[in-house]
Amino acid sequence: MTLLSTSLNALGLLLLTHAVYSAHEHTTLTPTSPSTTSLSAKLPFDITLELLSSVLLICIGVVLASPDLKPIQWSKWAGKLEREGRKEVREGEIQEGNPYLQLEVRKGFLDIREKRKEFADWVRKGATSLS
Amino acid sequence: MSASLLDPPPHISPQTALYLSQQAPHILKSSPTSSLPWPLSLLFTSETPETWAVHENLLLSCLRTGDDKSARLCLDRMIARFGDDNERMMALKGMYEEATAVDKAGLEKVLKEYEKILAADPTNMAVRKRRIALLRSMSRPADAIAGLVELVDSSPTDAEAWAELSDLYVSQNMHAQAIFSLEEVLLITPNAWNVHARMGELLYLSATASASGATLKGITESMRRFCRSIELCDDYLRGYYGLKLTTQRLLSLLSTHPKPSHATTDPTVGDLAAPSIVTVQKLHELATTKLAEIIRRGSSKEAGWSGYDQAELIAARELLDRDAQKIER
Repeated sequence: MTLLSTSLNALGLLLLTHAVYSAHEHTTLTPTSPSTTSLSAKLPFDITLELLSSVLLICIGVVLASPDLKPIQWSKWAGKLEREGRKEVREGEIQEGNPYLQLEVRKGFLDIREKRKEFADWVRKGATSLS
Repeated sequence: MSASLLDPPPHISPQTALYLSQQAPHILKSSPTSSLPWPLSLLFTSETPETWAVHENLLLSCLRTGDDKSARLCLDRMIARFGDDNERMMALKGMYEEATAVDKAGLEKVLKEYEKILAADPTNMAVRKRRIALLRSMSRPADAIAGLVELVDSSPTDAEAWAELSDLYVSQNMHAQAIFSLEEVLLITPNAWNVHARMGELLYLSATASASGATLKGITESMRRFCRSIELCDDYLRGYYGLKLTTQRLLSLLSTHPKPSHATTDPTVGDLAAPSIVTVQKLHELATTKLAEIIRRGSSKEAGWSGYDQAELIAARELLDRDAQKIER
């Protein structure tokens, strides 16, 4: 998908630049004296077409390159969190798990002595299983 | 291992704690605050808001792994930055003293210290919570409950305190009070799907412990709570597990009591009627199929399904296997 959107964007930008340049050339090369009719001063149809199609291509490319939409329904969003759990999406950016887990962990009431004992037991268990 | 000190996971396993506390030398190596006088110190400091969150989490994991020296250093730095009379620093300092207390007398001293702080400033919530946690840790649950009741009385919108109170009541086998406290949590956070599931579990426990007359009502209520948790969260393993457990129980109960005593909704009390056996059957089937799907996709770690806890998956598989054996017999 990224290759497609990048190539569409590149092509669109190229066409856009070309169309703008052609329009500029056209205005400088056509004489703008009042004697000429307005018909010849009009922009040629192919330049207009090129411009419009380039804008369309860029639009499609940008939409394709956008990241996935996030779920806006509560149950879908919550289900996504449960299924995927806590994980690192990108470097330094963590997708949070269930935000209500705090109500079951309760940091303010942390029983530090219990946790220390748990860790000491874990170390002892590891030591006996190794020896 | 994706565990950073800035944003550690809520449940820290001993391995994670060890990994986190091993980063202590690296973090403590350089001082975040600058020693230059005031206007210059603003320009030449590497301090960011994250610095202090990292220090706090480092303090907690060092205390957990018994690295008291690094913990002391973290604490000293934070006290130097925020002052001795900062509420959060007082609580962290108390926690450090709790962790390093060697005997009961030491703990009593910390408790006295907490009470002295609270006598001076009863609105210090962080220290009030520490005091309750310490009481609980010293196996004095009655005092802890009394303290918590006082706390929720003065701060009734503290969901964390209500949840702790509910947990304390469960540890004392006071299910009715525990359920009441959890209802208060749900009033504050009505969308918390795990609290709904917890409520279902408590109702199930109290229903199985109570006399036979109230069992049907309790299990029905529990089933409804699990349904709500699933409604709030698709593919919620805990919710479906509870739903399967309760519907299984209800099916056997409803088949032995073919005519429930109150077939319709009672308008005076507001009790809902017991569900029909067909509804329960359907819910049971739904729970079984969903559990099977979650186990299948969760244990094969399909893309986007890798977040389930392994122990929970194993427990769910056991529940399904037990059910399958019953059918074979």
